[in-house]
Amino acid sequence: MMVCSENKDVFSAVVRSNKKIGQRFYRLGLEFSGDCAEPFGKARPGQFAELDLCGTALPRGEAIPEDLCDMAERNILLRRPFSFCDVTVKGDKTVVDILYDVVGPATLRMTTLSAGDSISIIGPLGNGFAMPSGKETALLVAGGMGAGPLLHLAKVLTADYPNIKVVAFAGAKTATTLPFEKRLDEVSEVLGFPLAEFAGYGIESLVATDDGSAGYKGFVTDCLLEWLGRCGLAAKDMIIYSCGPEKMLAKVAEIAQEKNIDCQISMERMMACGIGICQSCAVECKVAGSNETVYKLCCKDGPVFNSNEIVFSN
Amino acid sequence: MKDNVDISVDFAGVKLANPVFTASGTSGYADELADFVDINLLGGFITKSITLKPRKGNAPPRIVETDAGMLNAIGLANIGLDKFIKEKLPILERMTTAVFVNVAGETIDEYVAVVERLATERVIAGFELNISCPNVAKGGISFGTEPGQVSEITSAVKKAVGEKILIVKLTPTVTDISVIANAAVEAGADALSMVNTFTAMVIDIETRKPVLANRTGGLSGPAIKPIAAYLVNKVYNEVAKKNRIPILGGGGIRTASDAIEFIIAGASAVAVGTANFIEPDCTTKIIEGIKKYCVRKETNIKELIGSLGK
Ligand SMILES: Cc1cc2nc3c(=O)[nH]c(=O)nc-3n(C[C@H](O)[C@H](O)[C@H](O)COP(=O)(O)OP(=O)(O)OC[C@H]3O[C@@H](n4cnc5c(N)ncnc54)[C@H](O)[C@@H]3O)c2cc1C
Ligand SMILES: Cc1cc2nc3c(=O)[nH]c(=O)nc-3n(C[C@H](O)[C@H](O)[C@H](O)COP(=O)(O)O)c2cc1C
Ligand code: FES
Repeated sequence: MMVCSENKDVFSAVVRSNKKIGQRFYRLGLEFSGDCAEPFGKARPGQFAELDLCGTALPRGEAIPEDLCDMAERNILLRRPFSFCDVTVKGDKTVVDILYDVVGPATLRMTTLSAGDSISIIGPLGNGFAMPSGKETALLVAGGMGAGPLLHLAKVLTADYPNIKVVAFAGAKTATTLPFEKRLDEVSEVLGFPLAEFAGYGIESLVATDDGSAGYKGFVTDCLLEWLGRCGLAAKDMIIYSCGPEKMLAKVAEIAQEKNIDCQISMERMMACGIGICQSCAVECKVAGSNETVYKLCCKDGPVFNSNEIVFSN
Repeated sequence: MKDNVDISVDFAGVKLANPVFTASGTSGYADELADFVDINLLGGFITKSITLKPRKGNAPPRIVETDAGMLNAIGLANIGLDKFIKEKLPILERMTTAVFVNVAGETIDEYVAVVERLATERVIAGFELNISCPNVAKGGISFGTEPGQVSEITSAVKKAVGEKILIVKLTPTVTDISVIANAAVEAGADALSMVNTFTAMVIDIETRKPVLANRTGGLSGPAIKPIAAYLVNKVYNEVAKKNRIPILGGGGIRTASDAIEFIIAGASAVAVGTANFIEPDCTTKIIEGIKKYCVRKETNIKELIGSLGK
């Protein structure tokens, strides 16, 4: 049933589910079998894949959010990059879940995918998060859709590093934009609002919303800073993993630098190829021991970088 | 006949297994794309532009998508000649396909220096002279828009290529591309490559600023195909045919029928660019499609080239 390309890395996946889980958030489940199952089964947290959505239909007119109506008319040409929020190997099949936010023509099309549809996908691509060897505590700092790869990381950390304590921080503008399946009020309150998904892995989590509609009122980075102030842990025993808007990542990097905590962040860039050919996804990086900078490729050298490497634009 | 159709072509004296190339900058230095497609099945491979010294390239954002196309302003980011020789030539040496090195620079001397260093490398079939990059402040397109400069750079580089063939890559962002093509041919170009991207802009209406950090970029992809096909036909009729100079045609090619259009318009071979990003193995399909067309129409590439009817 599954058609796999003869060439390495261009795969065909079958859609298993595509569930709306928030105002604009969906969780897409893709199934790989045959030769495709193995590479995706080995996908590391922070890696991503390029989806071809050109052949996917737009939703019906009334199903398109008003602010996206104008944008929806645009045709798409290039593939789109997405990271994974869960990877599960079941026998000879691999199921990969993607958490996505509807922001434009490609992600609008994505919402109409339904069980049984097949989709062309290139991946897994890039370098994922480095594992926390020698650390005692891992802090996961998510902004909006950045929660996706950190959920995948949470799963791997809790399974493979049972001795490491994991604490998650999730930020959003307001409670309704938090990309998790269960409503916050269904979740018990321990410290702030632990989130259902992280809680499922037994991870303590803290929530921050800009408007205070859930958890800490303010940015997730302020919440992190406050927590670091009272945790009483040694910097060298901690590692921060973060994914989210670049402004947030810049702040996380600043905190990590100030406190001297190792920190890995997942960057986003516009990508034309995703496979290191086109040079479109440049990320400005410092060169150790000099004032010079170089451009590294988000798709090939990243998307995960050490935060102290990155030159943030503002 | 059916299984093994001959679609080989003679391109300025270089024998190609088929007329399909990957375009410069859209297939790296071969190693990146090699995971997806057997490079040796290609008629020809063209490297990313190489400059004498490494280039960082432009600040991001470097690309933006448009309807049926994309703008890029990479700014000739590349590893530079030394690293190319050390790291990439050994990979290219293992290829059986015809390898062309695309060369760029800020001064004529830089172009010449790169070509001189590489002219004796056995694996290289020829050079593609990029005088049409719209995304750099110095050099690039400025060499390709004025016939006097085209002539000067072409003849200087021609002296350095030795036995290798010299393809001059033209920008479509000029008033009359035939004037430029003619200048290149008269100065010694063995072949013409056309077209490079069209200078273009996308504006963010929220910020009222161009989306690309470089402000402008080069438009490529399906959007430019009909314009490129027209320009290939124009140059074929006005310059290439009478001088017996082959054209490497392209711009927006995604399918075999796109490629065949260019050949009918006058191209002896075709270059596939942006489409590699979407389907990294599209060139294989294009090659197969051309074979099928030749069988179905009982024709061959030689007969197809420039066969556009009235
Ligand atoms: C490595 C990587 C992993 C990603 N993982 C996820 C994920 O798990 N879930 C998810 O929802 N999204 C993810 N993204 C972002 C996703 O690729 C974009 O949201 C998507 O391409 C938007 O396509 P569109 O056609 O719907 O909107 P577009 O019209 O392409 O974009 C809508 C708006 O978003 C901006 N935008 C588009 N792509 C990017 C980008 N790559 N970086 C920054 N801004 C962008 C555009 O400038 C525009 O303003 C990831 C991006 C990268 C690079
Ligand atoms: C991302 C990108 C990078 C490119 N880099 C180069 C380059 O380094 N040198 C060059 O001569 N042309 C470069 N080009 C132009 C292509 O080789 C080709 O001429 C052009 O894109 C038109 O073909 P297409 O529509 O099939 O892409 C680049 C194009 C793209 C899209
Ligand atoms: S997206 Fe093409 S090099 Fe990174």
